[in-house]
Amino acid sequence: MRPANLLTIYLSLLAALLCQLFPWVGQGVIFRPDFMLVLMLYWLLRAPNLCNVGTAWLIGLLVDLATGSLLGQHALSFTLTAFIGLSYQRRLVLFNKWQLAGYVFVLLIIERVLILLLKLFAGNDNPGWHYLWPIITSMLLWQFMVVIFGSITRPKTK
Amino acid sequence: MLKGVHQNLDPQQSPAFFVRGANPFSRMMFFCALSIIIMAVDARLNYLSQIRQAFIGGLHPLEMIANAPSDWMRDTKKYFSAHNALVQENYVLKQQAFEHKVALQRLSTIQAENEHLRSLLNGNIPIQPKAILGEISHTGRDPFTNVVIVNRGSQHKVQAGQAVVDSKGVIGQVTRVYPFSSEVTLITDKALSIPIQVERNQLRAIAFGEGNNTLDIPYLPSNVDIKIGDKLVTSGIDGIYPAGLAVATVTKIQQNPESPFAKIVSTPVAEISNHLQLLLLELPEAKEAEIKPDAEPAEKTKVEAKPTKPTKTKTKPHAPG
Repeated sequence: MRPANLLTIYLSLLAALLCQLFPWVGQGVIFRPDFMLVLMLYWLLRAPNLCNVGTAWLIGLLVDLATGSLLGQHALSFTLTAFIGLSYQRRLVLFNKWQLAGYVFVLLIIERVLILLLKLFAGNDNPGWHYLWPIITSMLLWQFMVVIFGSITRPKTK
Repeated sequence: MLKGVHQNLDPQQSPAFFVRGANPFSRMMFFCALSIIIMAVDARLNYLSQIRQAFIGGLHPLEMIANAPSDWMRDTKKYFSAHNALVQENYVLKQQAFEHKVALQRLSTIQAENEHLRSLLNGNIPIQPKAILGEISHTGRDPFTNVVIVNRGSQHKVQAGQAVVDSKGVIGQVTRVYPFSSEVTLITDKALSIPIQVERNQLRAIAFGEGNNTLDIPYLPSNVDIKIGDKLVTSGIDGIYPAGLAVATVTKIQQNPESPFAKIVSTPVAEISNHLQLLLLELPEAKEAEIKPDAEPAEKTKVEAKPTKPTKTKTKPHAPG
């Protein structure tokens, strides 16, 4: 695994923002994965010296600005998710591929629920069960990220 | 001796193995507090709308890149659409235009007559709003709100609060304006309400969005004279939506014995999902200021002498951005 550098992180961030801005027609927006969140989690778990809680906050703020939601909502939920994600970061090298996927899955659920709570507090409607679809698609995106940028877990010993 | 050396050492120097700056918990607390402050400022005060506008304006090139694939696809589809279909469409449109022209002739005489009669009664002439033609560039990115983004912004003189209609009826209202695009909140959104009138019996009421593609008309007694299939049009008393635009048709009426009010549900007539073009009607205030100078030469009647302004009620359905 090559060490992560800051340029890769920012370029991939730009690509994710582009995906987020892509005009998702009608029903597509229900299945849209959280590009920025998955990207943030990947770099957070892989290179916590380059991507930390502060970066997560900034990415969340970008998402808020781009989606037009109340400023600070995604920033708050990304910060909290990043903190929870970091708390077990040192132990991740001991995880295998599926354990790591499970860990990310839990983090995705936490972020989704946090956003739901914040939105409900702000006076939005309960969107219904289809609100949880992006967790599944984000999980697929995570696996895709692992294929592209390389695995985080310890390589198999022979 | 050793003690003295030790005292000279910089106490801030810690082993550099695991240094990550402040520990994650304090960072988390700091950024959480920051986000909460930002949320409060954004929700209650209007300082951050400028920043948001600037950011979205800066994002415009990126947005154009993101929109490019779908635009290309649409263009190629247009290019390859059969000649036959176009000829057919042309024929139909010509026929429609002819029919409309005939109807318009009648309308203009009726309008002149109406204006004349109104001036006789010392009423004010209803203002014909100007409009900007816009196109939906995408539906909102936030699944919680019913908004569409239109490709006209402050560069095209769009203002927050403008009413938006399509060929069938009212779509909603402009709630946020960015340099090259603007956000239109649909009338079905929970934040929006619209003063309406039942076309059949001129009964006035206010319709509220319900969030799930329906409108609710609350606070009407259960014996109110509204039937399923009634057409609801704008009443125009708010000074934002011009009177007489189609809004919705009543689809369901429920009488609950426990409540003195009827539950009246209606569905909007505008077809947002079927086409892209829509009209952004100019705000009446801006129009009034504009019409004064060029109204003088065309002084047919003595209406100008009577400076009666349209009555504006406080029930402004403008959702704060």
